[in-house]
Amino acid sequence: MSQNKPTIDFGFAEVPLEEKVKKVKGVFDSVSSNYDIMNDVMSMGVHRLWKRHTIELSGIRPGNVVLDLAGGTGDLTKEFAKRVGKTGRVVLADINESMVRVGRDRLINAGIAGNVEYTITNAEALAFPDNTFDVCTIAFGLRNVTNKDKALEELYRVLKPGGQLMILEFSKVTQPLLAKFYDFYSFNILPKMGKLIANDEDSYQYLAESIRMHPDQETLKQMMLDAGFDKVEYLNMSEGIVALHRGWKY
Amino acid sequence: MSKQPGLVNISLSKTIESVLNTAIRLDEEQGQAFKGLEDKVIKVTLTPVTSPVYFLFTSYMVSVQNQLTGEPDAALECTLFDFMSLPLNRTLPTSLMEGDTDLAMQFIDGLCGLDIDWEEHLSHYTGDLVAFKIGHGIRSFFEQKQTTKNNLGETVKEYLQFEINALPTQSQVKRFVQQVQQTQDEIDQLALRIEALLTKT
Repeated sequence: MSQNKPTIDFGFAEVPLEEKVKKVKGVFDSVSSNYDIMNDVMSMGVHRLWKRHTIELSGIRPGNVVLDLAGGTGDLTKEFAKRVGKTGRVVLADINESMVRVGRDRLINAGIAGNVEYTITNAEALAFPDNTFDVCTIAFGLRNVTNKDKALEELYRVLKPGGQLMILEFSKVTQPLLAKFYDFYSFNILPKMGKLIANDEDSYQYLAESIRMHPDQETLKQMMLDAGFDKVEYLNMSEGIVALHRGWKY
Repeated sequence: MSKQPGLVNISLSKTIESVLNTAIRLDEEQGQAFKGLEDKVIKVTLTPVTSPVYFLFTSYMVSVQNQLTGEPDAALECTLFDFMSLPLNRTLPTSLMEGDTDLAMQFIDGLCGLDIDWEEHLSHYTGDLVAFKIGHGIRSFFEQKQTTKNNLGETVKEYLQFEINALPTQSQVKRFVQQVQQTQDEIDQLALRIEALLTKT
């Protein structure tokens, strides 16, 4: 009977469906304290530019209500909170408690308080009413979600009509030469850096593998359309190393 | 596809945001001039940069971005050069102002009141020497502009007053005004005297 159990990818490995959440939690529990440093080292600081670009394209304004799903250490929440002001609200949501704790401490230390809420939630079952948010973002989080279709449906549900979902995620490199270098970097250098900086080679090996298992630009676009989004477009950044998918609910 | 802001525009908005917030933090009044703009959005089109930048004012100070959902509360247009010259010029010549013009004026006044050291920020990218040369160039331009304006005014005044006698000098105007006033006083006295004589008869 056990052979018939549904499985799902966890990096390049196949694990029982219900195991993935636990395993992903394990990875992020392990990397949370060094997450920001590792992001800077891994992307050579470019992740800040990708995030800045995302914020720019959000078109956010004072009074907006924003969901930063898989918000982790709060990079996007910090900028959104500055922009929505006292009349707006930002919800930093993550399935991983240790990441939320790191994010909360970091934002409070940066003087961001009053218009930010923190919640631990599963992307596949968002604990918010329908039509709540003007903007929803999920940055470098969707690839860790077990049932991505369900998560996209949930994000569609909680968006207000006219609202925008922004998915910032590693994607398929469009430049063949860069793709070869990127593969070498991901599977040979990145885990070693993980070991050196965070003393955790396996977690960074998983991060590299999960990026390769994530749907490419066109597939994710179709998944968003299937989830109900009325208009979807994507923007490749750094030759497709990262893609920003934007979906609107009308 | 909707228009995406390029890397130049994003860098520009990020730089403006950082420069303004630094200036507000160093300001004696901590940006009180912008208090009335809280939760408002001002759209500024900086020519020749084609896409506009949006200034979002919140209690966390100013955020600058290239895109906005919905309409701004006020919009104005000026050249990038004029905008950057604000600390020297203390005025922002605008060619277009839309929406709530009071807000736009408050925004300009707030910016004029800030001591923005563009040269310092520029030096992070270009080095001190280049930043100084650019700053010196801009300062010289404005000094030259002011001197030329003053000289031109003086020359035209002297030509009209002394060369072609088309306009009186200041002392002549003063004397004339005094004479008019004196005549007015004498007429008033005379009117009172006539009134008194008429009452007697």
